[in-house]
Amino acid sequence: MLSYVIRRVLSMIPSLFLASIIVFSFIHFIPGDPAVVMLGDMATPEQVQQLREALGLDRPVYVQYIRWLSGILRGDLGNSIFFHQPVTRVIASRAETSIFIALISMALIALIGIPIGVLSAVKYNSWIDQALSSLSMFFASVPTFWLGLNLMFIFAVMLRWFPSSGFPSVIESGNWSNLRYLILPCLTLAAPNSALIIRLTRSSMLDVIREDHVRTARAKGLPEWKIILKHVFRNALISIVSALGFTFVALVSGTVVTETVFSLPGIGRLVVESILRRDYPVIQGIILVIVLLYMLINLLVDLSYAFLDPRIKYS
Amino acid sequence: MPERVLAFGVCLFLLAAAGCATAQEAVKGGVFRYAAIDEAPTLDQHVVTSDLATTIAQHIFEGLYTFDANYTPVPMLAESTDVQEDGKLVVIKLREGVKFHNGKELDAEDVIASLNRWGKFGTRGPVLFEHIAKLEADSKYVVKIYFKEPFAPWQNLLAFINGGPVIYPKDVVEKAEAKPIPETEYIGTGPYRFVERNPGRYILLARFDDYKGLAGPANGYAGERKAYFDEIRFIPVPDVGTRVNGVKAGDYDYAEQIPGDLFESLKSDPSVKTIVNQGSIQGFIFFNSKDGIMKDNYKLRQAILVATKMDMVLRAAIGPEELWDANGSFMPEVTPWYSKAGLEKYNRGDVELAKKLAKEAGYNGEKITFMVSSSYRMHYDSCMVIAKQLSEAGFNIDLQIYDWATLVSKRSDPKQWDMFFTHHGFVPDPILFTFMSDTYPGWWATDRKASLKKPFIETMDQSKRIEIWSKIQELIYEEVPVAKTGDIYMYDIYSPKVQGLSEMSLIWPKLWGLSFK
Repeated sequence: MLSYVIRRVLSMIPSLFLASIIVFSFIHFIPGDPAVVMLGDMATPEQVQQLREALGLDRPVYVQYIRWLSGILRGDLGNSIFFHQPVTRVIASRAETSIFIALISMALIALIGIPIGVLSAVKYNSWIDQALSSLSMFFASVPTFWLGLNLMFIFAVMLRWFPSSGFPSVIESGNWSNLRYLILPCLTLAAPNSALIIRLTRSSMLDVIREDHVRTARAKGLPEWKIILKHVFRNALISIVSALGFTFVALVSGTVVTETVFSLPGIGRLVVESILRRDYPVIQGIILVIVLLYMLINLLVDLSYAFLDPRIKYS
Repeated sequence: MPERVLAFGVCLFLLAAAGCATAQEAVKGGVFRYAAIDEAPTLDQHVVTSDLATTIAQHIFEGLYTFDANYTPVPMLAESTDVQEDGKLVVIKLREGVKFHNGKELDAEDVIASLNRWGKFGTRGPVLFEHIAKLEADSKYVVKIYFKEPFAPWQNLLAFINGGPVIYPKDVVEKAEAKPIPETEYIGTGPYRFVERNPGRYILLARFDDYKGLAGPANGYAGERKAYFDEIRFIPVPDVGTRVNGVKAGDYDYAEQIPGDLFESLKSDPSVKTIVNQGSIQGFIFFNSKDGIMKDNYKLRQAILVATKMDMVLRAAIGPEELWDANGSFMPEVTPWYSKAGLEKYNRGDVELAKKLAKEAGYNGEKITFMVSSSYRMHYDSCMVIAKQLSEAGFNIDLQIYDWATLVSKRSDPKQWDMFFTHHGFVPDPILFTFMSDTYPGWWATDRKASLKKPFIETMDQSKRIEIWSKIQELIYEEVPVAKTGDIYMYDIYSPKVQGLSEMSLIWPKLWGLSFK
C-alpha cells in the first residue's frame, strides 16, 4: 500500500508540470493585458508599456514561464498583479472561505442526501419514494442564484436570523460564530448537491439490493436493517464516496454563483475575477492548486475503496 | 386633570428632547460599511483612473487643489496661488503644519517629487507636464511651476484627483517610479489613513486623528473634511441584489451603482434612501480616424450619428428619466462649458437623412465592425439599441462583444475595428476628454482640431476658452470622432441611520462629514 501511495504521489509531478505548461500558455494566448485593465480607460499606450516593463510583462512568454517555474520550485507563486500581494497570501485568504463552505456543505449533503437516498431505495416505488424523488428533482433543477437570493430575502432581510452576505475570517478573528455567515450559502449549495446524492444513493442501493448475496442474506433470515446497512449500504458506498470526493473539490474550487450572490471571498470568484483582470500569476497559482487538490482527492478516494471493499487490494 | 396636564408636559418635554437630539452635532464613532461593485486595483492615484479606486483613495490622499460644488478649482494643500509672468510662472504657497499619516510634515520637496512622478509616469500627468519647463522649491513651503508657454487648464488638472497629482512623501514616490505604490506605503494627508487590504473582504481605513484639513463649511470637495467614523470598510459586493438586500438587512450602510430598473421601488422603500449623483457619466461611440471605412469619411460618421435616436438608447439602457438626460453638449448644463453648438445633428433618429448622407459618403453596405464590452451592462444594452437603429437605417453592422480586457486590447489595433463603445466620467475641463488626446484609440488628430486646441490651452482668459470650446464641439459634430449618447446619472442607496449625505459632487461618494444618527 505504501509503495502504491508513493508511486501515485510521484506520478503527480509530471502531471503538474504538464498542467503548468498548458495553463501558462492558454492564459497568455487570451487577448487582453493586465496593465491595461489596471491603468484604466485613460491610459496612453506609452503608460501601458511603462507598466508592462515594470511588471516584467514585456518579456517573451517562455522567459516569463521559466521565471514563474523557478519561483514555484522555491515555493514562490509570484505576486498578484492586481492586489500587489504574494499569490500564496491571496489564495490562502480565499481558501479559508472555500474550505469552510466545502466542509459545512459536505456535512449537510451527506446528512441529507445519504439517509433520504437509502430511505428512497428501501421504500422503492412507494409514495414515499416518489415524493422524495420529485423533491430531489426539484432541488437539482433550481438555479442556485434564485435559491440563494430567496433564502437571503427570507432569512436575512425579513427575519434577520442570519447575515445577508460576506464572511469575516474565523482564523484571523478567532471568532467561530462568524460561521453563521456561511449557513445560507451552504444551504444554497447543499440543496442541489444533496439532490444528486439522493439519486445516486438510491440507484446504487437498488443495484446492490438486487444482487445474489443480498438474496442469500435474506434467505438466511438476517434482520432487514442489518441487510440494508451491512450488505447493501456498505457496497453502495463506493460510488457515493467517489461522488462526494469530487463534489468536495467542486465546492472548494467552483462555487462562483453562490460566492457572488453571498459576496463570499472564495476561490471560485477569485478565479473568474482574476481571468477578467488578466491577473496571470493568480490564475496560474489557483489552477495549479486545484489540479493538485483533484489529484489528492482522487488518491484518497481510490484508497477508500480498499477500506470499503476488502477484495480491493493495492500493491 | 392635573395628570393630563402633567402627561402633556412630559410629552412636550420628550418632544423637545427629541428635537434637540436631531439637531445635535454629529458624534464620532462607528464602522461605516460601503458595499462597492468590485475590488479596487491599486489606490495609487498617479497611475489609475478607476472610479472605485478614487472613491476610496480620496479619503487617504489629497492634492494641491480640489473642486468646490461649482466645479471651480480651489486650494486644498495649497494655501495661496500667485500667477505671474502672464501665466508662465505659478507660485504656490503650501499650508503649514499638514501632517502625513507617518507623522512627517508636508513640504515643498514632497510636492515636487510627487508632481514629477505624476508627470513622468502618471495617467493624466503628461497632459500638464508637456507644458512645464521646470518645478522648483523656493522655500520649505513654496513651490514654483515654470511653464514653457501659458497653459490655461493647469489648475483644473492639478485639482482633478482621478488619475491625478495626489501628494505622497518624497521617499515613497522616489522608490516607486513607474510601479504602483505598494500598500505598505499608502501614506497621504487625508482624513482617513489606510490600514489594510484583505483581498475579497475589504479595504480598511481608520480615522487620522492628526488630520489638518481646511477650515470653513464643506463645499463640494472643498471646505472642512470632518471624519466621524472610526473606520470605513470598502467591501466588494459584485451582485446588485446582494448590495440592495445587504443595506435593507443592515449589513451595509451604503451601496453604490444600483440599476435604474430598481429606482422607483427603492425610492418608496422606507428601509433605504436613494441618492442620485450630480456628476454625470457619458456614453460614447468612438470612430476610427486612422484606418478602415471611417477614416476621413466624416459624412458616413454623420450618417451614423443622425440615424441614432439617443433618448431611446438611454431609456432602454438606463430606465427612469430621472437618471438620464438626452443632452448632446459634451459638458453638462451645470458647468460654464455647456454649449448648444452642433446639436442639430444630435438625437435625430432620421433614417431618410441617414440613408441620404450614407449614399453621399459612398457607402455601399460594407461591413462596419462595432465593438462593445459585455462587462458593463449599460454598454451592452446601449449598443443593442444602437446596432438595431443602424441596421434599420441600412448599415451593415458587425457587432462584436468582448469582455472589457479583450476590447481594450483590440481597440489599440486600428485594423480591428470601425467603432467601439465606452463611457467617460465627468471631467471639469474639456481638455481631459480622452478624444482630445491625439493618441487615444480613435486617433482624432486633424488640422482643424489642432488649430483650435492650441489657443484653447494657451488662452488664460476663461471666457475666451469657453468660446473656443464651443467651436471645438461644433467641429466634433462635423468630423464626428465620437458620438455622445447622453448624460447618465448613477444613483446609490444608503441606510436611513446615516446622516450628512445631502449632496454629492462629481462622481465619487465622499464619506467625510457623514455620521450615524
